[in-house]
Amino acid sequence: MNRLLVQVHEVWLETLMSAFMSNNTTTKQTLFDFSEIMFRHFTWIENYCIKNDVSYDYERNMIPVKVDNLNTILQDIIARLNRIGLQLVVCDDDALSSRISRDMEYFIFTLKNIPDEPVSAFDMQRTLKGIKLSNEATDALTLFLFEESYKEYELIMIYNYLKAHSSDVNLVRIFQILIDESFFHLNRFGQMMADMGILGVPRTIAKELYVVEDIVAFFENGINEELLAKEECKRLSNAVSDESKELARFFDFVNYQENYHIALMKEALEFYNKVTDVQ
Amino acid sequence: MDAVLLEHMMNPKNYGVLEHSNAEGIGKNPHNGEKVIVFLSVSNRNNVFVIEDIRFQAIGCMTTVLAGSIITTEARGLDFGRTEALVSTTLGMLDSIPPEEAACSEMVALALQAAMDTYKERQKDTDFPMITYKISQNCTPQGVDINE
Repeated sequence: MNRLLVQVHEVWLETLMSAFMSNNTTTKQTLFDFSEIMFRHFTWIENYCIKNDVSYDYERNMIPVKVDNLNTILQDIIARLNRIGLQLVVCDDDALSSRISRDMEYFIFTLKNIPDEPVSAFDMQRTLKGIKLSNEATDALTLFLFEESYKEYELIMIYNYLKAHSSDVNLVRIFQILIDESFFHLNRFGQMMADMGILGVPRTIAKELYVVEDIVAFFENGINEELLAKEECKRLSNAVSDESKELARFFDFVNYQENYHIALMKEALEFYNKVTDVQ
Repeated sequence: MDAVLLEHMMNPKNYGVLEHSNAEGIGKNPHNGEKVIVFLSVSNRNNVFVIEDIRFQAIGCMTTVLAGSIITTEARGLDFGRTEALVSTTLGMLDSIPPEEAACSEMVALALQAAMDTYKERQKDTDFPMITYKISQNCTPQGVDINE
């Protein structure tokens, strides 16, 4: 089952990357929708592993996504889906494998009919929707996007793991909100990277990051990291404000969103502190 | 930022676990828990140790991944003598760059050195544990009060 989990993990990310690459609104939305469903497949398989005491991890291979035409990556996604279809025989939960299998049949049918288009997500032009930034601001934005797109992916995986292993309703609610927030950020940052021609797949996450041993320390460090991210957003907003009010407002928006994340993390921290006190 | 650097950021080379490594080493930042692990597949050619394959994984920032991608690309195919010269050159350049960038490169260089030293120790004791070296640079941001 772990092999199946890895394959679904990889195809989810590849499909998300392909959504960033498309400049066709309908295609982009279809690929985003499919990637969201694939992520849910991932969580279902993970849930199966937990229920059946099957060991699993978030390891995966590097995913080559650099293409000149969308059709090239869509063909690769179809090939991956076909391999997953074969791999589904290892799943003895017929309802689960049937659900995934039916979804994938529709994905393959739809992907085969998506019109081809050239891809500019790797051209390294580093301009954003006609906004002319200074070299210094462009470099700062580039580093920020690489750093934060990985960070959001990392947070999705950590919160997903914590959620999968939590039974408290309130904690599950907090983790789900944090996952949704990180998805929103990942999608926005990924799209900006594609628009700037510097799209890259987030690197893999080390096991010791998502198998959190000291949950209290994790949230305390996480809150500090969010505070540092707020500082970085302020710096970026100031750096680009002369050239683009729109971009500056976006970074202000992300900065203020971090307050909500911090509040949720403090709520989770309070829960774990109480549990620790009781023990 | 030139195209070569961007390419390493978009597609880090040699990132991940090497399934059949025969030596591993860690470079660690004791100030914040960041670390780099280097995996080596080394062949012994008449007592000349050659890095046939190499991978790395990082718990750290993008600069660390960038340094790992560049340094491991350089090290692939080199013998230990030339790799140690590469490590020494990297460490020698650290004084001329900002501390936060120096810490990242030092972590990768020391992880590579630790992996080579682990391999040498395993020639005498096959069960020798993975070596960890701690860096001397500190990349913790200075002057940032996170409570403000």
